[in-house]
Amino acid sequence: MRGKNVERLIRALLIVVVIGFLVWAFISGAFQFIMDNPDDLAYLLQQHLKLVGLSSLLAVIVAVPVGILVTRPRLKKYDWIAINVANIGQTVPSLAILALVMTYLGIGYFTAVFALWLYSLLPILRNTIAGIESINKSIIDAGQGMGMTGAQILWKLEIPNSLFAILAGIRTAIVINVGTAALAFLIGGGGLGDLIFTGISLYDTGIMLSGALPVTLLAITLDFVLGKLEKWIIPKGLQRNLESL
Amino acid sequence: MNRRFTKKAIISLLLSLMMIGMAACGQEQAGGDQQNQAGGNEAKGTITVGGKDFTEQHLLSKITAIYLKEKGYNVEEASNMGSSVVRSALENGQIDLYWEYTGTALVIYQKQAVETDPVKAYEKVKEKDKENKLAWLNKANFNNTYAILMSQDKSDELGIKSISDLAKYVKSDPSALKFASNAEFYAREDGIKGLEKHYGFQFPTENVVKMDSGLLYNALKEKQVDVSVGFATDGRIKGFNLVALEDDKFFFPAYNGAPVVRQEVLDKYPELADLLNQIADKLDTETMMKLNYTVDVEHKDVAEVAREWLTSQQLIK
Repeated sequence: MRGKNVERLIRALLIVVVIGFLVWAFISGAFQFIMDNPDDLAYLLQQHLKLVGLSSLLAVIVAVPVGILVTRPRLKKYDWIAINVANIGQTVPSLAILALVMTYLGIGYFTAVFALWLYSLLPILRNTIAGIESINKSIIDAGQGMGMTGAQILWKLEIPNSLFAILAGIRTAIVINVGTAALAFLIGGGGLGDLIFTGISLYDTGIMLSGALPVTLLAITLDFVLGKLEKWIIPKGLQRNLESL
Repeated sequence: MNRRFTKKAIISLLLSLMMIGMAACGQEQAGGDQQNQAGGNEAKGTITVGGKDFTEQHLLSKITAIYLKEKGYNVEEASNMGSSVVRSALENGQIDLYWEYTGTALVIYQKQAVETDPVKAYEKVKEKDKENKLAWLNKANFNNTYAILMSQDKSDELGIKSISDLAKYVKSDPSALKFASNAEFYAREDGIKGLEKHYGFQFPTENVVKMDSGLLYNALKEKQVDVSVGFATDGRIKGFNLVALEDDKFFFPAYNGAPVVRQEVLDKYPELADLLNQIADKLDTETMMKLNYTVDVEHKDVAEVAREWLTSQQLIK
């Protein structure tokens, strides 16, 4: 109970600090740039969303099936390869991935999407594998005992039971992606990084914040929306299990 | 449950702080050539040399740092800053000197009118900065003004030799050419906006690709863009077979490099002026291009190139 109160207090404090900062920034004219150039901001925001949207979508389409594939009984021996690749890949700095991809694919939007896709694959892949492998063996045994086929076990038992982990992976990947996409500017990929880097090179806090703030808000909003989505997708019967976790 | 979580959170927080700390220490050790040859106790004093975030500036600050070390000063280096950042650092006394370009100081910091004549530009900034207690030493003979670049083949193919030719071409077919710019040139008054106004043309927004300064030349070389902004003294212009279009209507200001030192520091170490002028007097556009080429195209280490040049000029042994 005490822990809950402390948590509430900290959260309230944080919110106060954030709102205070925003008010201060607004008063000191930091968002003048946004006021003056709403079109620029809209254009860059749309570029940013395209970068994040396309790369995240492709990452989900590829990583989830691959994660399911390597956990099939026939391939189970090899799943450590996928896990290790995902783990090592995760430790490479995002900027380095951008740079590496650029040396092969040149500059521009698609290079940026490819690099972001590569970077988002890993958390999704890792969570998918971990989610499926952490399912209680007795559930699978029960399924087999009832005479379910492999496909039935996958669709009716494994996927619903690991959905929480898979969705958490996707959520993490997308939120990280929003921040990483700010680096796409450096290789001519556009996006809100444009304002951040322009702000840095001109030493103009206003322009910098005009880029940094939308990126932050975008990440928070997406996190919130995806959290709600999670509740909606995961079967009701399993959510009670989650609360006891 | 909650308590376990807090413990974990605290431990991971401490771990991440440690990592940040380690990274910070690592950065201080990076950069090579940091050892102080004079021995800490007999140094004449400590000088902090600043620098901006591109190759020529890395070279200039490195040359200055090595030379001052040889002459018995303790030198700290703070490089890789944006223009306005490094200027603020100088005004705040966080750094003692760095190499600035006349045009940048004139237009950006002093808000004076653009000056295309190198000598006049230099006189103006020198005079004006006296109020700020900043001393401009000798103007070096290299003019690192902006250049509008194209690949040699493309320039021949389209018959574009000057910026006027380019303006004509863009007006007749706005979406034909892709233009690469860095953040600064795109946003600055003496950048793309001013250029377009001066020559009376405009690239459509969707034809301008913005990227890190270091990639502009590669983008041209790899034919990913047709036209790019660059710097006149960059070694890659020759290295990648590019041409700088002639600024036939004299838009780009003079950007001669010169060491700028805080007056306070000069008063404290009067011989600094002489030492820095020795470097400034030996640099010209040709030299700067060659040095930049060695670093950017031949990928030689900045410290090594700086040391070799100082040795070749008999400034150090």
